[in-house]
Formats: sequence, structure tokens, C-alpha cells
Amino acid sequence: MDSTNRLRNMKTRLTWLQEKKLQNHLGGKQFSLLFKASVHGFCDENLHSRCFCQGPTLIVIYSSDHVFGLYIPQNDKNKATDSCLLFAFEETEILGCEIGPYNFTTIFFPIEREFKINLFRKEVKISLDTLKKLKLFQHQIISLEECEAFRCEDLLDTRKMNGVAELRENLLSAIRTYKPSRDLVNQIRILLLGPVGAGKSSFFNSVKSVFRGYVTHQAVVGSDRTGISKQYRTYSINDGKTVKPLPFILCDSVGLSEEEGLCLDDIPYILKGHVPDKYQFNFMKPITPDHESYINFLSLENRIHCVAFVFDANSIEQLSNEMVAKVKKARRKVIKCGVAPVVLLTCVDTMDLITRGDLINIYKCMPVKLKREEVHKKLGFALSDILVVSNYTSEWNLDPIKDVLNLSALRQMLWAADDFLEDLPLEKKQQSEKSISQKNWKKTNRWS
Amino acid sequence: MTRGLLPAVCCFEFQFPFSQTMKSRISAELSVSRMFQLAKPDGAACTPFKPDPAFKNGTMEMTTRLTWNEEKILQKLLGNVSLSLFYKSSVHKCSIENMLDMCNHQGSTITVIYLPNCIVGAFLFGHYPQMDKNCRNQNYSFYFSLNNTRTTEVFNVEAQIDSEKLAFYSSNEIIFSLIPHESKVFIHQSLKIELGIQHFTSSNYLECEVFRVEGINDDKGYIRRITGVVQYRNGLLAELRGYRPYADLVSEINILLLGPVGSGKSSFFNSVKSVFRGHLTRQAAVGSDVTSITEMYRIYSIKDGKDGKSPPFTLCDTMGLDEKEGVGLCMDDIPHILNGCVPDRYHFSPQQPITCDHPTFITSPSLKDRIHCVAYVLDINCINSLSSKMVAKFKQVQKIILSCGVPQVALLTKVKNYHEVLQEDFLNMNTSMTSQSQIKKIQKMLKIPIYNILMVENYALEWEQDPLKDILILSALRQMLRAADDYLEDLPQRRIRFFFR
Repeated sequence: MDSTNRLRNMKTRLTWLQEKKLQNHLGGKQFSLLFKASVHGFCDENLHSRCFCQGPTLIVIYSSDHVFGLYIPQNDKNKATDSCLLFAFEETEILGCEIGPYNFTTIFFPIEREFKINLFRKEVKISLDTLKKLKLFQHQIISLEECEAFRCEDLLDTRKMNGVAELRENLLSAIRTYKPSRDLVNQIRILLLGPVGAGKSSFFNSVKSVFRGYVTHQAVVGSDRTGISKQYRTYSINDGKTVKPLPFILCDSVGLSEEEGLCLDDIPYILKGHVPDKYQFNFMKPITPDHESYINFLSLENRIHCVAFVFDANSIEQLSNEMVAKVKKARRKVIKCGVAPVVLLTCVDTMDLITRGDLINIYKCMPVKLKREEVHKKLGFALSDILVVSNYTSEWNLDPIKDVLNLSALRQMLWAADDFLEDLPLEKKQQSEKSISQKNWKKTNRWS
Repeated sequence: MTRGLLPAVCCFEFQFPFSQTMKSRISAELSVSRMFQLAKPDGAACTPFKPDPAFKNGTMEMTTRLTWNEEKILQKLLGNVSLSLFYKSSVHKCSIENMLDMCNHQGSTITVIYLPNCIVGAFLFGHYPQMDKNCRNQNYSFYFSLNNTRTTEVFNVEAQIDSEKLAFYSSNEIIFSLIPHESKVFIHQSLKIELGIQHFTSSNYLECEVFRVEGINDDKGYIRRITGVVQYRNGLLAELRGYRPYADLVSEINILLLGPVGSGKSSFFNSVKSVFRGHLTRQAAVGSDVTSITEMYRIYSIKDGKDGKSPPFTLCDTMGLDEKEGVGLCMDDIPHILNGCVPDRYHFSPQQPITCDHPTFITSPSLKDRIHCVAYVLDINCINSLSSKMVAKFKQVQKIILSCGVPQVALLTKVKNYHEVLQEDFLNMNTSMTSQSQIKKIQKMLKIPIYNILMVENYALEWEQDPLKDILILSALRQMLRAADDYLEDLPQRRIRFFFR
């Protein structure tokens, strides 16, 4: 029982928010707990032996009413010293000042220092000068309840970046070589729906950039109400390497809006493939069969196989009741047409506390988890269908971390399209297979 | 190979990079040599030693040798855990004393050994043992090989540490031991065979790292489960892929899912499909706020892989049951469904059952078209609050099904404590779960034997591949197929009886 209790205690007391603030403050670190006084004993020697030669070290001290500590950059066999950061939490903000230079060993010498830990006596002594700088403590000697020590590693190191680069190549290859289910169509059509300014066009540009090899712009970006963004556009993307079309097409419509924007009655027509490229939407009047450019002949090739609702992650709270109702109606229309929608959350890298290093494990970040849950509750989408992407906005060159996020989401959409194709009634599949046979026959004929 | 063992997770797919491993090994060996040479100037104690930049990400720093992908694979193998490195032999001294200073009182650990051509490790439950050459500490341990993504079963080990050696005994024989100051590891031959590394003969390791394992439940049962769960899941999946209906009497088993709206019928189908595919799949019907979608009768078969053949079963989904009269599935539709007269995609009407005059009515269904098993689908959290009207409706439905002679199972969904459903060997359900009041109530209400009251946790809200969820889903499916086989086996006798009559 005692052993079990001790096992359970080998966990930091830092809250997620405190840990995140510290990580960001120290430049994107991650922490590995090495020492905990209540488990390993209130013993300086024990702290020293467990933490020596572990790389940069963070010591966190918990008193009855404060959390504070010391970041020590130098902790290896050489004798180099460096300035250390003495920090304290004031609510959730970090106050800090530099002390030193020290290394991990000298912090325990009994000589008078700005900051000294005595675990045996469970107290920390801070010099008067340092006390003034931190503006938080009243006394030079502070009783401590707990002391934890962590090794600090870069959230993004070469090892992880190598893994990301490899994953990116795997995803690129998987998407380049993707074939729709049973070759029923040559290209999957993915429709992007969402409020104006959510990042639909930016997502298209970001996807195209990955395959191009540098950041490129084709779809016009901006939340203005110009005539261009009222058009229906179908964008095929060529692979930058082979200059052949990729097996998907991204389709962009006018944004959803409380007032104008996309007419919901247009959705079934878009999904079934009646709406031609460059069709000019009218928010008051859906397309009709009488329209001169209405596509009468339907084929599996021309219809939408996957729908992605695009939302700016920072705008979910501000969605008006009218917009929420509109999105829900749109979702139902999509589902009635047999297509399972997914959600793309854009701009997560601009969310509070999120840094570039978080993108490699973005689904485990608390703010993103909460945001996805909010979308689930507010709009009704399944959590597993709420995907996170990171668009290129100001960059000139590609970032493999962003690419992995975007390509992973794209692959999910291709899988969703496969599910749609597999669920089609048999006669539609047979029709498509017949047309494939005819194509093959024509090829053979031409060749001979 | 790796994909088969560890299906892709939601957003990231990892492949085991053998070539990367080899490069990493060669590079690491060069780094070791260079470090050794450069150690001399430090001994001279002239200017402070500044590490060569080439060492920054090599063995000098407290960074694991695992590539990022290898780390992910290992985390998954151990049950979606986190790993915290705290001892590395090339950074800390290669001595038992120093290793113990770092390792004791850190909780459950894995010790990872980098041999020239493979990575092996030992999981030790609880705290590291104390040094005492006269004493052996009882503990639980299992071993893994990263090259083959494989674990052993849990061993009851006796751990013993003296000033030179750390050894794990099982049945009074050393199965795994380390001699740090010589960088030597011993692995018993039978253990090597079990890990698939019997052809690796080297006993000198390049590196030893010890990690704390975080995010596991601290109980022995859990440890046993994670060692066997992937193997069992893969075996079960292979069994179901190879399933053939009894005596090949039909080409497919048709399983009917019946239950109230929101009970998880469609989610169960999606979950089964996702298990076979190895990634999340979506059917438009899922999402109970769009109730009109499930007015259709759907016969779902499952494509196994992109263009693979389908396993010989289908899951049939109907309109939900409703406690009110004239709402939900019409009682008079049920016999037609069971007899196989209702075609795929038929639109139900609560007020008007299908009739033989309907243009798509199947007038002469064969045995293949019939329903061979019925699964009542209920949310386990709603059973104790079922209204008397809904109970009455279930009994009404059951009466019809019994008169048609179709076997029945109950499928309870949304089981949050799904870790506790099965015994450690996954072969049977735990009595602590089967003795719950919900199970008793279903048994009493529907007269279904407990072995056919099945519990699952669907992949409804979140896809993070969990082999234990897979096992529950596949086990439930297997029980349905067994019930259907019993039904088919019983048919010839009934035919004989009919013949004599």
C-alpha cells in the first residue's frame, strides 16, 4: 500500500496551465520529472545525485501560498556557469529575474548566495536584493512543502524534426498515390463550406503549397465581399514534381453568412454536381434547372464526395445564434445527401499559449481539446470528425510541422470520401464501372 | 508489417524505419569513438571542455537514442503511455550504484538496451529494487523488442542487485540481466525466441536508458493486459477475417441491430468497420440529431482494406424503436425484415408496414436473405431508467423474433469502464461486470443468457486506436456469429421434422 501510494505520487503538482506558461517562458521546453522531495526524501544529496548531468534543470518549489523556482541552464560534467532564472508565479503570470552565474553544483554550496535551498530544513533563503526584484515575497526565509526537479528539453529537437520530416514524406506519398475506392472516380471532390473569413481559401492555398514546394497563392484570400468570392470554384492541383493532377479537387463556394452568403437550397445542387465552375451565386435564389449553365448530366465524377466545414478556432465563441442555426441546417442537408461532413479548425497556432512546438501533438493540447469539445456541443459534429489544420498566412517557405497537420487532415477527408463511395447504391457503382470499361475499350482501340 | 500490428492512429501514421535505425546505429558508434578521443583534453584540465557541436544531439546530451517514430511505437506498444528519461549510461556512470541513485523510487520503469542490431527492453512494475546480494525482491516484469514490436507475457520475477549485476530470475533461472560496468546484457534463449530475436548473438550493448512509464493504471491486471492485448486483438481479427458461416449454408450472416434512437446502433457498425480498416471510418447516418436519416433500412457489408473482399457478414440497421405507438419502427415490419423481404435502402413508415405489393418487396427470399441473428442495442447507462412502455415494446418485439426462431443477443454500449469487462486473458467476461444490475435487468427482461449480453465501447466521439476496445467489439461480433451458426446448425433438424410432418 505504501509502495502504491508512492507510485501514485510520482507526478508533478504543476497545473497544466502553470507547466505550459513555464514551457513557453523558457523558450518551448518540455519537462521530465526527475526528483520529488515527498517521494525521494527531503535531502539535498538525493536531489543532486538524481539531477546531475541531466542537462538544463528546472527546480520548482511549493510553499503554502506560492509556486516558485529556479531554471539552471548548465548541468553537465564541465564546470561552466551561466546566469540562472529565478521565477515565481503571480496567479498565472511569471515574474522572473536573473541570478548567478551558477551551475547545478554551485547552487548547493553553503556560501552565501542570492538563492539557497535547504531541503533538510525545508526552507529556501533569498537575499534581500533578489527579494526586491521579485516583489512577491515578504520574508527572506520561506518554508517549503514540496520540491520538484525536472530536466528541460527542447520541444522541437533534431530527433523530432527528423521524425516530422519523415512523416511528412510518408503522407505526401500516400496522398500522391491515393486511388479512390475501386477506382470509381479519378478525383475526389471535396467541398469547403464555412463562414466568411474562416480560412477556406487559405486552406486550399496551404494544401497547394505543400505539393508545389513553396508557399503559393491561387485562391483569393480575404474576407471582403468582392464578386470573386461569390463564385463557385473547383481547384485541381498539379503535383509539383510530376505536373500531373493530384487525386482530389477542392471546391470553394461563397461563405455562409447570417444575411447574404450561400443560399442553403444551393447545397443539394452543389453536392450532386449540378453547379458549374465559376457559377455566380445569388444569396436569394438557388440555381435551377432552367439556368443556362446548369449541369443536367450527372456523373459520379462531378459530384461532391466529401464536405469540410471550415471554422476559425478563435471565432467559435462569437458565432451568432443565427450562424449556429445556419450551420446546423447546412450540416443536415449534407447528411441527407449521404455525405459525412468533417470540420477543419483553422488558426489554432494563433490560439493563446499554443506555440509551434505544440503542433506536433496538437490534439493533446488542452486549449485545442476544449475548442473541439465546444464545436461538438455547439454544432453537433462528432469529436473524431473535428480536425485541426494550420494555414500559411505570412510565410514564404514551407514548415514541415504545418504540412503534417494539413496533410493528415486531407488524408482523413480522402478516407471519408472512400466511405461515401463504398456506401453508394449498387446501380450507381455499376454505372461507373461500365463507363470505366468503355474508357478502357477506347484506349485499347486507339492503341491498336 | 508494422501497420498490421499497429493500425494508424487518427492523424499520424508511423512506420518502423529500419534503415533509419541502421544509420542511427552507425552514426552513434562514430559518436562514441569521437567522444572517447576528446575525453583526454578534459583530463588535462586546461581550458573548460566545450562539447563538439556534432555531439549536441548525440550521446553526450540527455536525449534518448530512440527516433521520434520509435518512441511513438514504443509508447503505443506499452498502452499509450508517456516516457520520461532519467538514466543514460553514456552520460551517467556505468555503475550499478550510480544507476540505482537515478532509478530508485521513480515508479514503474522500462530499461531499454541498444544492441548493435536491435532494441530490447524490460518493463518493471513499481519501484526499482534495492541493492542487496542476499535478497531477491518479488515483482512483475515483461520484456519487449522494438524491432518486432513484440512483448512477452508478464513474468513473476525475483530481482536481485549486487555491486556488479542487476538480474531478474524466473523459476530460479536468470532470464534477463545487466552488467553495467562491462556494458553486457544477458537474455535467456527462450526469452529471445519469444521476442523473435534469437539470431542476435551480441551481448555487448551500445547504450542503456531507463525511463519512467507514466499514464498507466497502477495495478497488476492492467500490466498483464497491455502485454497481451495487441496479440490477442490481432488473433481475433484474423479469426474473424477467416470466418466461414456454418457448413457454408449461406454466403453471409445477416445481423440485425435493433434499439432505441441514440443507443449506438450506427456507431457499432462504424466501430466494426473502423477496426477492420485500421482507421476511423464514417457513415453519414451517425449523428442522432438527424433522425430522419435512419428511417432507411440499411444492409452494411464491410470492405476489408481498400479493395479487399468483405468478411462474410453484414450488419443491418433499421429505424429506431420508440416507446410511443405509431412512432419509430412499425411492429408489423419486423417479420418481413427477419424473413429477408425488405430490400436495402427501403424507407420505413411508422404507420404503414411494407407489403408484398411494394415494388421492391422481395417475394421469395432465400436463407441467405434472412436475418440470422438479432442484437438488441442499448445504452448501458439508460437501462435502469427504461420506461415501462419501452420495456413493453421490447417484449413485443421479442415475441415476434422468438416466433421466427431467430437467435438474440443484447449489445450494451457506452461502457465507460470497458477496461474491466474482460478477464486478464480476454477469454471471458469478469463477474464484477456480469453481476451488475443492468445485466440482471436485461437478463430478466429479455431472457437472454448472460454469455450473450455483450458490452462494448464504440469509437463514437473520439478515434484513438485502442486494442482493448477492438477486442470488445470483435468479441461481441464473434458471439453474434456463433449465435447465428447455432441457428444454422439447428435448421436441418427442423427441415427434417417438417419433412416427416
